[in-house]
Amino acid sequence: MSGQKMEFPITWGMVIDIDKCTGCGACMASCQTENNVEPQREASNKLRSTSWMTVYELTNGKSFPDHDIAYLPRPCQQCGNPPCVSVCPVIATEKNENGGIVSQVYPRCIGCRYCVAACPYHVRYFGWFDPVWPEGMQKTLSPLTSVRPRGVVEKCTFCHHRWTLAKDAARANGKDPDNLDDGAYVTTCVQNCPSGALAFGDLKNPKHKVHELIKSPYAYRLLERLGTDTQVYYISRREWVRKLGDNYLKSE
Amino acid sequence: MGLDRRAFLGLVAGGAVGTMFTPIPWKFIDDASIWTQNWSWIPRVPKGQIDYVGTSSKLCPACEGLKIMRVAGNPVSAGGNPDHPLSRGGVSALARSEVYMLYSPARIKSPMKRSGKTFAPITWEQALIEMAEKLGAAKGSVAAISGDGTGTVNEVLSALVGKLGSAGCFMMPTEATSAAKGIKLMGGQGQAGYDFENADAVLVLGADLFETWGTSTRNRKAFGATRPAGAKPASTYIYVGPTRNNTASVCDQWIPAGAADFGIVALGIAWHLLKAGATSNAPGFDTFKAVVNGGFGPEDVKRATGIAPDVLAGIAKTLASAKAPLVVTGSPFGQGLGAAPFIAGMSLNMLLGRINKPGGVYMLPELAAVVPGAMSRAALLDGDLPAFLKGVEAGKTPAPKALLVYDANPAYGLPESATMAKALEKIPFKVSFSSFMDETAALCDLVLPNSLPLERYDDVATPYGSGFCIYSLVRPIQKPIHDTKTTGDVLLALARKLSIELKFDNFQQVLKEKVAGLAKASGGFVAKDVMPWQVAAGKPAPALVGGDLWKALETGFAWTMVGQVAQTGMGFASEVVAKAVKAGKAPAVAATLAPYSQLRTGTPATGIPCQDLTTVPDTELVGDTTFVRLNSETAKALGLKKGQTVKLSAAGVDCQAKVHIFESVMTGMVSAPLGFGHTAFDYFSQGKGANYLSLMTVAEEPGSGMSMWIASEVKIA
Repeated sequence: MSGQKMEFPITWGMVIDIDKCTGCGACMASCQTENNVEPQREASNKLRSTSWMTVYELTNGKSFPDHDIAYLPRPCQQCGNPPCVSVCPVIATEKNENGGIVSQVYPRCIGCRYCVAACPYHVRYFGWFDPVWPEGMQKTLSPLTSVRPRGVVEKCTFCHHRWTLAKDAARANGKDPDNLDDGAYVTTCVQNCPSGALAFGDLKNPKHKVHELIKSPYAYRLLERLGTDTQVYYISRREWVRKLGDNYLKSE
Repeated sequence: MGLDRRAFLGLVAGGAVGTMFTPIPWKFIDDASIWTQNWSWIPRVPKGQIDYVGTSSKLCPACEGLKIMRVAGNPVSAGGNPDHPLSRGGVSALARSEVYMLYSPARIKSPMKRSGKTFAPITWEQALIEMAEKLGAAKGSVAAISGDGTGTVNEVLSALVGKLGSAGCFMMPTEATSAAKGIKLMGGQGQAGYDFENADAVLVLGADLFETWGTSTRNRKAFGATRPAGAKPASTYIYVGPTRNNTASVCDQWIPAGAADFGIVALGIAWHLLKAGATSNAPGFDTFKAVVNGGFGPEDVKRATGIAPDVLAGIAKTLASAKAPLVVTGSPFGQGLGAAPFIAGMSLNMLLGRINKPGGVYMLPELAAVVPGAMSRAALLDGDLPAFLKGVEAGKTPAPKALLVYDANPAYGLPESATMAKALEKIPFKVSFSSFMDETAALCDLVLPNSLPLERYDDVATPYGSGFCIYSLVRPIQKPIHDTKTTGDVLLALARKLSIELKFDNFQQVLKEKVAGLAKASGGFVAKDVMPWQVAAGKPAPALVGGDLWKALETGFAWTMVGQVAQTGMGFASEVVAKAVKAGKAPAVAATLAPYSQLRTGTPATGIPCQDLTTVPDTELVGDTTFVRLNSETAKALGLKKGQTVKLSAAGVDCQAKVHIFESVMTGMVSAPLGFGHTAFDYFSQGKGANYLSLMTVAEEPGSGMSMWIASEVKIA
């Protein structure tokens, strides 16, 4: 782990209601285009394709008819103690900005992939090839996220550019950019989710909905025992779903 | 003078030392390292002012309102429009693709004419002359197929074909087809609309409510609104179907039942409701009661479906004790249901007194047509396309001399696809107005590409499933990228060439007249601060503020109306139910195909949107092979193992697949994803997996005579 945990006055966090997620993939599709991830012809090879947001299928492991399924959308967990930061030899990934979003500075990245190996949530992707868009499709690139060349690692940034835009909008409207209204800054996956399964806000701001949501008895985080102190929370009323969030012994 | 040994060694040593001092080798090494590491060009992001404009999705059947983000006037991404009742900020993976599909490699770049086995580009004028000549010669025998379930362009198409002498004007079969047939047989009027927002107990019989059924984005928003995160849900959703699909995965209860048994389940629940005293004044109630009591008791249903009596009683109790129960019947893959299961489901709504009530089923009026001679939506939905094409293929129905195909891909998106493609081949002159080179366009003689929704004027009128009348405008955000035209305009130009009077010169005029009609309709309003479901629940409808409705619609707002057609003779259609819904049979022991469809693999008309390919899990597609899902008991019975490559055979067609053991599939069922196995489109769709729809066999439903293909037996080896 990174050793020293930093506290930030603003801590952006996501709360995902698994009981509402239908696994449709709209969050993934939204993320791909918002963040200029190329369309991938052989996307079925999950070890070689890039998807900052990925929806996993969970099952309770039982046979029909007792079988149950759930879908778990997985963005970068934006750890309070990010294992990726401490292993980066060139400070390409840091957690030092208010908001607590783990950065990824592409021009600094040397592609060593230590962070990929260190991340317990598999949120980091290495670009093995230069991205290619079908002819003309580059005109639909988002101006808010840079295109990454091959050889660097990339990951979900909680659509950090949207925070910048939200702060600009607040300043333009005479509001405090460090005290944004609930909903003024949300990520693209949260905005476009058709089920309303995703919520986003400042975990420390009592005016933000997520501040209360994370106190739910049904709220949990992934692999909490690692002490990564993530900023992404999940909610499920199903116990078996919550139990899959960490490595429990059979007796626990 | 000779070269002695000493001199030779001196020369070599001198040369070697000299080379060390020249920069040439170092330069070569340096260049080699640079050029082997030289990264190819990667695109730079566009720069310019960012703004957002409103429109509606036409590619996605859920018809969400969209906010298009533009940079320096160019569209770059599509998001949900929070002000639109069918979106409320949400968007499907397919609607999200509206922008980048403008540059899809599958797009047809100009009008084309068949030349042998390939196509040659022609001009629009040449295309119009050719089409006018061929259609003029085919008068009296022109057919049309439309895949646009919501557009006013259907009025232009059906009026033109009608005046040319129609051999049939058909819609691609969807959930709306079964519902329209069901309502007609019940003697009802209007389009069934479901008020999920005000319902507190929803029984879903088969319909993949949150994926492909009707206004699926709106459905999910309505569901989500009654399910606060981490708190007790304010609604109950029960799903009945062969697999725990995307919809069932979030429902409170999944009751496994074969897709052919939805009618039996509905009548089994009716038995409990009748026993508890439910009654109705609707015509045919007594016969209905007799039919239900005569063969759909708890034990009958258990024998036929395997559903335990107490489970069925539990569902009936949940519905009867709810304030606003609602029953929705549909196909798990969006087509082929038949009319009888729909009627059986609707009978439950009638027994529960849910017709034209908040949180129930509203019988919505059709918006007034503006093109003279146009067919109504109900009349269009009454056509039976699979039956027509099967008849053509078998030589029982005369093949039309000409066929116009709009926004549809019948060579791929119908059951028994091979038969349908053969029928299409029998038609001597075919025109496709597809935007993409799909399987049907590849069979046609002329391909006249329609501009994509972001390049054209179009509209969305009350999609099936919507609980209220709604009208939204689709407007051009940018000029056509290729040499394409709005099909509405092309059809009107063609009518002029054929001296057929359709009243309008261009399609925008048609839409303006439609909107002018809406502005005069009483009870309509623009959804802004008040949403239609709030009005249904009792909130006063705001007045349609004076001003330009067209402008409001162009901004991205929707016109909406909470209205219903008063039902005078809607009955139980018991004679249809009695013939088509049969209990008492033993559960199927052979493998039954249970397909499922998802918006992320597009529609037959769009192919797989390139960015959505990443969203397909590797339990569905790996490389070029798709997976079918069976539970371990079925796999054991069939002698199949995880990952095994198998061949599925039915309807004279073979499809390859790999086996994925998935326990949320009923025993005896093989669940297969649709949307794969394209032979046309681009490299994101072509050759990826198999089209399992081709295995589905079409049968005639007793009682209604309608084509149905809800469940087909397959051989797996």
